[in-house]
Amino acid sequence: MADYKQMWTDLGMDLEKHDVLCEVLPEAFGGIYLTQQDRPKGMDFYDFVVSEIHGVRPAEMLQHQKEGGKVFGTFCVYVPDEVVFAAGGIAAGLCGGSQFWVSGGEKVLPANTCSLIKASVGARLDKTCPFFLIPDMYVGENTCDGKKKAWEILAGEVPIHIIDIPQMKRERDIAAYEAEIRDFIATVEKVTGNKITAESLGAAIKLINNKRRALQRVYNARKASPVPISGLDALLVTQINFYDDPARAAQMANNLAEELEQRIENGLGVFPDKAVRIMVSGTPMAIPNWKLHHIIESLGAAVVVEESCTGTRYFENLVDESASTLEEQIRALAERYMKTNCACFTPNSARVEDIIRLADEYKVDGIIDTNLQFCNLYSTESHLVKQSMNERNLPFMHIETDYSEQDFEQLRTRVEAFLEILRK
Amino acid sequence: MLDEFMEGFASAREVNLMRIKEAKDNGLKVVGIYCTYCPQELILAAGAIPVGLCGMSENPIAIAEETLPRNLCPLVKSSYGFAVSDTCPFFHFSDLIIGETTCDGKKKMFEIMRDLKPVHVMQLPHLSNTKASFDLWVEEIRCLRSRLEQELQVTISDQDIWAAAEMINKEKKAIKAMFDLNRVDPPPLSGMDMLTAAWSRSFSSNKVEMVDNLNGLVREAANQPKNGRTKASRVLLTGCPVGLGTEKVIRLTEELGANIVAMENCSGYKTLELQTDIQGTDPIVELAKTYMAIPCSCMSPNPYRMELLNSMLDDFRADAVIDLTWQACHTYNIEAFEVGKLVKSKGLPYLHLESDYSNSDLESLKVRIEAMLEMVEK
Amino acid sequence: MIVIGIDIGSVAAKGYIISSGKHHRTIIPTGWSPREAGQAIIDQLLDVSRIERDQVERIYVTGYGRVAFEQADKTITEIKCHARGIAELYPEVRTIIDIGGQDSKVIRIGERGQVLDFAMNDKCAAGTGRFLQVMATALGLDVSELGDAEQPGQMQTISSMCTVFAESEIIGSLARGNPIGGIIAGLHQSVGKRVAAMARRMGIREQVAFTGGVAINQGVKRALEAELGTRIIVPEACQYTGALGAALLALENS
Repeated sequence: MADYKQMWTDLGMDLEKHDVLCEVLPEAFGGIYLTQQDRPKGMDFYDFVVSEIHGVRPAEMLQHQKEGGKVFGTFCVYVPDEVVFAAGGIAAGLCGGSQFWVSGGEKVLPANTCSLIKASVGARLDKTCPFFLIPDMYVGENTCDGKKKAWEILAGEVPIHIIDIPQMKRERDIAAYEAEIRDFIATVEKVTGNKITAESLGAAIKLINNKRRALQRVYNARKASPVPISGLDALLVTQINFYDDPARAAQMANNLAEELEQRIENGLGVFPDKAVRIMVSGTPMAIPNWKLHHIIESLGAAVVVEESCTGTRYFENLVDESASTLEEQIRALAERYMKTNCACFTPNSARVEDIIRLADEYKVDGIIDTNLQFCNLYSTESHLVKQSMNERNLPFMHIETDYSEQDFEQLRTRVEAFLEILRK
Repeated sequence: MLDEFMEGFASAREVNLMRIKEAKDNGLKVVGIYCTYCPQELILAAGAIPVGLCGMSENPIAIAEETLPRNLCPLVKSSYGFAVSDTCPFFHFSDLIIGETTCDGKKKMFEIMRDLKPVHVMQLPHLSNTKASFDLWVEEIRCLRSRLEQELQVTISDQDIWAAAEMINKEKKAIKAMFDLNRVDPPPLSGMDMLTAAWSRSFSSNKVEMVDNLNGLVREAANQPKNGRTKASRVLLTGCPVGLGTEKVIRLTEELGANIVAMENCSGYKTLELQTDIQGTDPIVELAKTYMAIPCSCMSPNPYRMELLNSMLDDFRADAVIDLTWQACHTYNIEAFEVGKLVKSKGLPYLHLESDYSNSDLESLKVRIEAMLEMVEK
Repeated sequence: MIVIGIDIGSVAAKGYIISSGKHHRTIIPTGWSPREAGQAIIDQLLDVSRIERDQVERIYVTGYGRVAFEQADKTITEIKCHARGIAELYPEVRTIIDIGGQDSKVIRIGERGQVLDFAMNDKCAAGTGRFLQVMATALGLDVSELGDAEQPGQMQTISSMCTVFAESEIIGSLARGNPIGGIIAGLHQSVGKRVAAMARRMGIREQVAFTGGVAINQGVKRALEAELGTRIIVPEACQYTGALGAALLALENS
């Protein structure tokens, strides 16, 4: 990594602790990623981003702030990034994905809280991640009990705007979410000092839609057999898209997709033609959480699609670009975001339908539904997913895990046994 | 005699079970509720009987875990376990179940419960302090009204709602007066007494009788200031709901020689100061105001709980606070951080316990409670 | 005045007798009966100090076996006793880490040795003496040998905190030919991490003392120091801290 010591010091980071993280990350990445065979050339960019993970993008954000721009840290795919970019700001997905930060979170949160929340709070409190220190404002949302209450604690630490996500999807809930977008626009305008217009919001909608289209293209390529890209690599692409510049993210994903399409034409894949194809569904995998994918793929099966926030939920569905007035655009945003099917909604039967559809589109042999420990939403919903999969004879397994390596061996045994069943 | 009143409360469950069965036979409807957020005034106004169904026993948890995750709060698991195993007569008699999106576990459990009974879920807002939340909640209560009318084949008049609101106001006042007895030292009622009386409310099919009994108890207690109870460390219990069957922390604390003098939880004081204004113009709006003010940890932020605790600590002259979280209840668990800060800032010992319905942690709970009481003695 | 303090732990029972400024102490395995262990402690203490039972003014008992022991004039929790014991030995200490056979505790104390706050492990054995005991058995060692056998330079990190899984993990690690001293260092680190997490949540104030039977183990002490980034005091008779505290409280008739 280039030398970012000065930048980190200026951010008030705990350099000593941060050094420990900088030491372990390349090793983990090398072991999991760089040992894969026949990786697409297009992954070079993402490898570079990881190698400079706390340097290159944070430096861009700081430059943006130096020029008077504002940065918003977000934690959920229900937060409309379009609003931030329309006001000339940068939105960056911040979710913490490493066990390294968990103990910092446990200083203020109960141990029985999900790893993602503990790591996110810990990364901020321990000052070991530049992404968590740069934002002028955090954008929280009431998607689950843990997050809702964690924001109250973080609110003492950093300015935070809460988006109240409805829990049902009736017409009046969509209207309620529309009102939330209006509130968010008002906050963003105030923080950035920039007025959001139909032009700027229209441009931002196109900008983010383009990123979604590019990711859709990458995922489309994963429908081919043999699959031209590993699940690990595809996951990394999505993870990095959460905080990269959206225009560049779209371009890089398009470059990669082009290469993958070429591979498909040439019949090239990273797994043998007959490799077992797995869908991973459930809770998000924030960078650098690669645990489950690594286990599955090191056992010779390919993860071909993620039904999760770090997967299809992130980029499926586009915002209607034909909306021309602010009013229409806000409505279009509300409609698009409320199509996303997270277990925080009740009922959430559309998610089960998504899984069935994706299983068909990606020709999966089995579904591994996973949730982070203590996520009451996905763990309870798993019963309903399982019921539907059983009815359709789709092989299904549920895994509850966290960021630690404690259960690595047990998980490997369970996944291996599941794959044995699929291979017959 | 106090004891006679207490026996009356203790047998309320059995007595009311028979009454409810009778009422059902006579064509009355029963509506099952799980939470203090359910505006039971509407159920009363509909001429139906509201019954509290919260699961307070460990027994049905094993059955529930065949469907629900193990890592879920025991109250949610027990509630579902009773329902799915058909071992709760009140659930059995219920024509309709009302649920709320109070927490992740309940929200998702109600989806699964739909296979057993008609379930109407109210969307409870997350935020306590916005107009949007309030408007949404008003809509939800209106929605409940029409669902009840449709499901129970009745028309609910405003007049009936006002009357029910007045009744519930009276009931809250009577329960509050009962709890307030314990402001004196020694407290006339034990923690178990308070719990028994308050808990019987959820089964009571006759509100007038309930209020009379409570008022009688309060009069009786005033008439016999010396009833053999002794001064001891005064402990306030807060946190997750406690009911008959899940009273282990109350029992342990009192066995260790302290008095539980107050309870800031759903079965205790949490809602008792919240009176519905029956002089308003729209009963639904007035009900919405009352219920939105409930200081449950599912609300964000939740400042009224801290205010209520703060004044209760003074009013009940508490020496220490036990904050009980049922395992996997994230909102109370995380809010414990805030509660701990408040209690410690008043110079009082604060003990946060995380437990479930089993007895496997009795010994370790005991050591903790004992050590906290030692801190009071100094 | 002559008083006795007894700490009946899950593994060992400890006793302290104080008689006009002089004191004696003793320790025995608790065995299956906490009551008999308590009686044996009294007998031994009376024996070494040449004192008759009826000369003893008060007996205070602490530890998990305290409730089973009828001769107690008073029972007190380990938490208060450790606080009192440490306050006597090291008045500067503000945080106590006590790791015993089945519990680990972090206790914050004030200037007069009063308990300000405390935290305890949950039901599971991770981060307790029991965890180390099971691991020592799996390695074919006695638990008392762990401290000397560790080789921190060869650290083999144990990822499982859970006793059951950690046991199979170290057996696997042995089978792969990893040095036993390195595995032990990993075990100590695991206990240190678990207990340090609890301590951090409560907030560490210096100075920090480490008591209980596990405090004899230099490896765990080192691991805790590394995790918490602070120097830790281990009393010379770390196992007796609770019994000492009980005796002092008996003396003060508190």
